[in-house]
Amino acid sequence: MKTKWYFFFLTTIAISAIIYAFLGVRGEEPVEIGVLMIGENRYEKFTGLEAGLKDLGYSAKEVNFTVMNAHDDEVLIDKQIDELLDKKPDLIVTLGGIETQRLKARMDEENIEIPVVFAGLAAPKELGLIKDYKSPGGLFTGINNYHASISGKRLEMLTSLVPAIDRVHVIYDSKIDVSKLSLEETRKAAKDLGVAISPCDASSKECLDTLWKTVDDGEAILVLPSFRIESLTDEIVELTEEKKTPAMGLYDFEAEKGLLASYGSSFYSQGYQASRFVSLILQGNKPGELPVELPDGIRFVVNQQTKDSLGVAYNQDLLHIAELIHPEVQGGSKR
Amino acid sequence: MRALIDFLHSQTIRNKVLVFGVVMSTIPLLLISLFYYSFVKSDLETRILEKQHLVLENLSREIQYEFSQTFQRIHVLASLNLLNEKQSALYELLQQSESVEEVIIVDDKGFVEKRVSRYELNIAGDNERWFTDEMWFQLQTHDRVYGQVEFNQYGQPVMKLAIPFYEGESKKAIGVVVQLQKIIGKISSMRQDHSSYIYLIDDKDRVIAHQDYSKLWQKQTSGGQDELGVTAEIEDLNWVLVMEQPKTTAFAPINRMLQSGIGAVALLILTVSLISVWAGLYFTRPIVSIDREMNNLKQGRKISPVRMKRTDELGKLADSFNDMSKELLEKSRLLEQEKERLDVVVNGIGAGLALVTKEYRITWMNPILKGWLKEDRLTLPCYAVIGGENAPCLNCPITCPDLDKIADEVMKFKDGANGERIFRHRVFPLNHAIEEEGEFLVVLEDITEQKQMEETMIQTDKLSALGIMASSFAHEVNNPLATINVYAEDLIDRIQAGDEDLDEEEMEHYLRKIKENTERCKRITGNLLNFSRKNDWTEDQIRVKEIIENSVSLVEHQLKKQRIQLELHVDRGLPAVIGDGLKLMQVIVNLINNAVDAMESEGKLIVSASESNGEAVSIKVTDSGHGIPAEAMDKLFDPFFTTKPIGKGTGLGLSVCYGIIQQFGGNITIDSKPSEGTTVEIQLPAERTLKAGQGVENQAGKSEITDGHGNSAQETMEVGYDVSNKIVSR
Repeated sequence: MKTKWYFFFLTTIAISAIIYAFLGVRGEEPVEIGVLMIGENRYEKFTGLEAGLKDLGYSAKEVNFTVMNAHDDEVLIDKQIDELLDKKPDLIVTLGGIETQRLKARMDEENIEIPVVFAGLAAPKELGLIKDYKSPGGLFTGINNYHASISGKRLEMLTSLVPAIDRVHVIYDSKIDVSKLSLEETRKAAKDLGVAISPCDASSKECLDTLWKTVDDGEAILVLPSFRIESLTDEIVELTEEKKTPAMGLYDFEAEKGLLASYGSSFYSQGYQASRFVSLILQGNKPGELPVELPDGIRFVVNQQTKDSLGVAYNQDLLHIAELIHPEVQGGSKR
Repeated sequence: MRALIDFLHSQTIRNKVLVFGVVMSTIPLLLISLFYYSFVKSDLETRILEKQHLVLENLSREIQYEFSQTFQRIHVLASLNLLNEKQSALYELLQQSESVEEVIIVDDKGFVEKRVSRYELNIAGDNERWFTDEMWFQLQTHDRVYGQVEFNQYGQPVMKLAIPFYEGESKKAIGVVVQLQKIIGKISSMRQDHSSYIYLIDDKDRVIAHQDYSKLWQKQTSGGQDELGVTAEIEDLNWVLVMEQPKTTAFAPINRMLQSGIGAVALLILTVSLISVWAGLYFTRPIVSIDREMNNLKQGRKISPVRMKRTDELGKLADSFNDMSKELLEKSRLLEQEKERLDVVVNGIGAGLALVTKEYRITWMNPILKGWLKEDRLTLPCYAVIGGENAPCLNCPITCPDLDKIADEVMKFKDGANGERIFRHRVFPLNHAIEEEGEFLVVLEDITEQKQMEETMIQTDKLSALGIMASSFAHEVNNPLATINVYAEDLIDRIQAGDEDLDEEEMEHYLRKIKENTERCKRITGNLLNFSRKNDWTEDQIRVKEIIENSVSLVEHQLKKQRIQLELHVDRGLPAVIGDGLKLMQVIVNLINNAVDAMESEGKLIVSASESNGEAVSIKVTDSGHGIPAEAMDKLFDPFFTTKPIGKGTGLGLSVCYGIIQQFGGNITIDSKPSEGTTVEIQLPAERTLKAGQGVENQAGKSEITDGHGNSAQETMEVGYDVSNKIVSR
């Protein structure tokens, strides 16, 4: 009888110990990360994000991405936000301003609390996404790509690169807050620099038509941040090539497509930089405590072909520090 | 521990085999696991620290390199001496160093002369002062100046670096704002294995980079004992990089290994336990069966044979047990029968039995002895209980180690419950006795009736002898009386006749004769009286010669009457013997009477006494009678056995003689040859302290007995022997 009891207890203990041992070797669940992008051209940010996380030591098994691409459809993005929120990911990375604003609105409505990292947007504080750069508070943090504040600097860079410019046409989007803020910054800088500017609202169909009609020699084009303007890049390139007009974009891909130059943080580097926030949050930090960062680097890119084809005089000092690209020869560059 | 060992000792073999199996399988495993655990743990700790050291070294070099590169570039910029002419040199610095936000040149008064910024417009403010007072002060003496970590308008951590340079005679300075977020971000967000974390402490002990942002800008908290960590100092900046990892997570892999190990050990214990139990059952089942049957056997219950189909040692043991138990049962049954018999004997023997230890303590006695003894004295030593003595008996074999000779010779007397009773007390040593349970067996026999019977027989025998001798006595007395009468009548006649010859001398002769014959009568009657007296055994030193003479005097007439020639030979210096003289006389009278009866008329009777080997006195009575038939020899000492015609003998004579000689401690031997005669020899222990011969006149070595008339008592009669029979008694 004693032996039976002994075996009963021994078996119980042994099975418990074996279960305990199996529990010990059970792998950790991968982290669910949702990614929101308004259009295909921001995919570079996602590529940067993936590379950044990999460099920080996250393997593909540890992270599971749910990517929502709205294909530049403002209606679709809302749907995709709902879908993503239903999946309740551990963290959401937004790849631009519009995505972040829509997501915040939705989360506020639904009172959902999921940490959000914005992988580069202009003027988050001014858009009401954060309270303060140093201590954002709330659920949002990420990279201020500085594209609103840097707008004046870009005007200075454009006018310094081509000293002969008299007037600069500024393409903005009146329906995008960041774009409007950028226009304000541009106005201030223009005033300080003594440069005349002509704003052009890209949200209206007449903008490009107007530019086709009005742009003249000695004039240049400055592109301000807006996903709508980003999607118009090809048309703007066509205009500048036709009119032999120097133009300054934000992203390297704009220069690659044919604008004379671009000055701003690249999509890839913004995504890469955003991976740090993702890592910090996954390691237990609250998004509200992580200071919003500026871009690690600003790229000044000049398209060699465009430069040569415009037939204008350039500031050689600036040209000396510019990153010259040869898209036709190189077949496009990622950075 | 002791209690545990005792507990284990008290367990069954099956449990012991189980415990042994489990212990022998788990303890080595646990010891090896423990050794490897501690070895791997210490190895892991070393590796973690090495890895941390490596990571920190790389990081600190990177940071150091970043700052030294920046300084180097500023130095190059200063040495170009083209700062006033071209802005491109400043732009180039921005291009070369991604972390530099802006470059400024200040004049000798500290006002910004020129600016190139990555984010801001390159417009210098009026009388704008870029340096803090502290930095400006340091610039006067140092060739490299580090500012404090501060925040720009976007909350980004930045740091100012500056070097002085000379442009002509004036001492100017180049300053740069370095963006720290990339360094800090890299340090903070770098994914470390197993919860490791890195943080950076500036020269004011503030945490300027930490994975946990809630700890930023706080004073450094030193790592606790629960963390493994290393530090690396960044020279010039006086920053310290720290990498730490909680021990709980550092050792998580080996803890997981341990966790898995526990499962494996548990599984192993379970398996080994099962095997151990199987082995335990296999090996111990026969033993358990044998043990069970042995208990049944011990408690007298019915047992069944242990059956198993195996031929190993255990199988043989079971077979042996079956055989042994069968034999044991048989022997037990025989033993019980023996015991029953013994009980009957012990209780029905009529003798008292007791077991006595060397200390005279009685450990057991049979009911008969208990009945004889007083209950309240049973705890006393045996000599007090049985003999009523205060000291052990003189010849007790317990006291005397020379046990074999005297074991059954000891006689004792004891006060019986109903008056005086006589017991025979013998002690036997037990060769296989259990110590302290009695090494001696005491046998007590109540011989009171036997003794009384013996006394009666002696007396009867004596009376019988007296009857036989009655006419002899009368005749013997009659002769002197007739002589007295003759002398008296003759004297009276002569006095009355007035015989003048009757003088005094002659009268004295007459009176002396009368006196002599009177004394002779007195002696005869005295002997008769003495012989016929009933007396108890009295011990005294007795002179054998005197006893023989007294005895012969009693039968003298009979011998004469039957014309039997008597020869009497008594050695000179014969030692005395200890005993009852009257009893010895009765023996000799009996023997002479038997001799006389055997001869009937005419014959020769020799009575002799001599010393035998200096230790005994030998008395021989030899007749020339018809001897004793061979078939009667065995029964001679039996009571009431006689070969004499009816009315002539009682059959008690020799039996009484035997009893009396026994009491003397001597022995009696009869040697007889039919038709030739019989010799009866009595040997009595001699008393060496007194020589009876001292009072016996002996000139020629042999005394001669003479009759009352002065004739020689030695008479010669014809003798004849042919067949010899012999019996010896103790």
